[in-house]
Amino acid sequence: MNNVTKMLVTLVVIGAISGGLLAKIFEWADPQIKANAQRETERAIFVVHPEGKKQEKVTGIPDELYKVMDVKGNLIGYAIQIKGNGFQGVIKMMMGVSPDLKKITGLTVLDQVETPGLGSEITKESFTDQFKKVDPTPAIVGKKGATETPNDILTITGATISSVAVVKIMNLGIEELRKLKKEGKI
Amino acid sequence: MSKSNSPINDFMNGIWKQNPIFKQVLGTCPTLAVTVSVVNGVAMGLATTFVLLFSSLIISMIKSLIPNQVRIAAYIVVIATFVTIVDIVMKAQFPELSKALGPFIPLIVVNCIILGRAEAFASKNTVVRSGFDALGMGAGFTLALLVIGGIREILGSNKLFGFVVLPDTVEPMLIFILPAGAFLTLGILFGIANNYEQKQKDKIIQKAIAAERSAKLVTVPAAPQTETEEA
Amino acid sequence: MDLLLIFLSAAIVNNFVLSYFLGICPFIGVSNKLTSAFSMGVATTFVLVLTAVVTWMINNLILLPAGLDYLQYVSFILVIASLVQFVEMFIKKTSQPLYRALGIYLPLITTNCAILGLALFMALRDYSMMESIFFGLGAGTGFTLALVIMAGIREELELADIPKPFRGVPITLITAGLLAMAFMGFSGLI
Repeated sequence: MNNVTKMLVTLVVIGAISGGLLAKIFEWADPQIKANAQRETERAIFVVHPEGKKQEKVTGIPDELYKVMDVKGNLIGYAIQIKGNGFQGVIKMMMGVSPDLKKITGLTVLDQVETPGLGSEITKESFTDQFKKVDPTPAIVGKKGATETPNDILTITGATISSVAVVKIMNLGIEELRKLKKEGKI
Repeated sequence: MSKSNSPINDFMNGIWKQNPIFKQVLGTCPTLAVTVSVVNGVAMGLATTFVLLFSSLIISMIKSLIPNQVRIAAYIVVIATFVTIVDIVMKAQFPELSKALGPFIPLIVVNCIILGRAEAFASKNTVVRSGFDALGMGAGFTLALLVIGGIREILGSNKLFGFVVLPDTVEPMLIFILPAGAFLTLGILFGIANNYEQKQKDKIIQKAIAAERSAKLVTVPAAPQTETEEA
Repeated sequence: MDLLLIFLSAAIVNNFVLSYFLGICPFIGVSNKLTSAFSMGVATTFVLVLTAVVTWMINNLILLPAGLDYLQYVSFILVIASLVQFVEMFIKKTSQPLYRALGIYLPLITTNCAILGLALFMALRDYSMMESIFFGLGAGTGFTLALVIMAGIREELELADIPKPFRGVPITLITAGLLAMAFMGFSGLI
């Protein structure tokens, strides 16, 4: 019995010291971790809205949606975080759209686990910059070889599935925005 | 095995004689997973060394206080605590690196090197020796990750430390930064290490034979001939 | 449909052993005989599913509501260690044949990174309870699959004339590399 108590006491003491130590360290690091995440999001927002100077999170909706303003405080568009399945796992992106939802202002990939060197090319600007010219009404289309209509973008050779996945995720995001607009939430 | 118990020997032990990857085959999971580039490999190595050092120190300090039946549980808590510290500090100070290494930082908890050294060394030796042993093992691990990361980065993406080192005309062999390449690289390096080890051993044996032979030469002059025939 | 995707993804496309490198130690250690490889796989799958359930509850019912997510690693690994111990005792009491078949592998499972890896990925991806169970099942199936295929190959390899320095671990790693390449063919399935 004595032995069991000793075992329990040892474990409890070690556990308590460990918990206390971690709590202190976490307390110190937490603001920094939050600031890092914040900076990361802000950086992404201003990548998809190069003229943006200020951003404000839209509350009361399940999506991570930000209003983006220029120097004078005029609304120049929205930035929305979108995600979905790619070739090997989830792709997470930040997409910028104009206030009337008729124009894509930019796209940047936040997180992806596509094949390095093939699918991961979707993070390159040569791919993401295409979306700046594209017309998202009614939907964006990924084409091989050459673009035909203003809705088209070129998929990456060797990474068709990843490219098409990006297009699909973006279309879903735009639809979501249209729905929000209709409901008058943005 | 080192005969002397000096701290230097404890340290050097981990670098080659008992290299955790090539000799003890411990900690292969992170070795394979994070070595797509030198920077990732070294960061992983340093994080592991940190955890290894502090958990070895603490464990060898408190070893006499812990009842035998719960020692593994106690060690695990100590190790997991230091891993969490590394993880939190990395997230706060080096967010990029923390993102690249992803869930492999927490997986240091189950890296067999750490529990293995705690059980095999730190729980039986003094604090100072455990510290040097941990540093040596950590250094051996980091070096191995550096080599593997270097090979995979050069072959797989034409880069080293993130700088382009091979011209564009050389098509990067993508396979080396994919999982399959990790297995191949480690397998081949392992074979080379074994080969080197074998040669060293052969040399020692040959020296011993030669010594024996010369000893025999003095007494029985005919002996060397028969020996070479046998060989 | 999503559940099936999670299962397939963990079992085949992102095979735990061959593309996440989780559970390499037992993969190299126990893959030299087909029967023991299969037993190990089954035992691990069992623990994986149990871990999925228990760690999900701890994470979502205790740690997250209390804002203690920094205690995740400590509590997960403790839970896994005690779970393995418990399973071992339970099997020993209830079924002697099963204990004889799986017994020696159970202690090894605690330090199998696939188990902690599973708990961490679940937490990272915010899986629901059901998703976690399928994820655990898929991971276990993938682990068993890789282990059994490897064991089958290694039994044949024993008859092959491999250069001496490459015998044992090195050839196992190289074979695993080739297997990983074969498994790459599955990507795009999801």
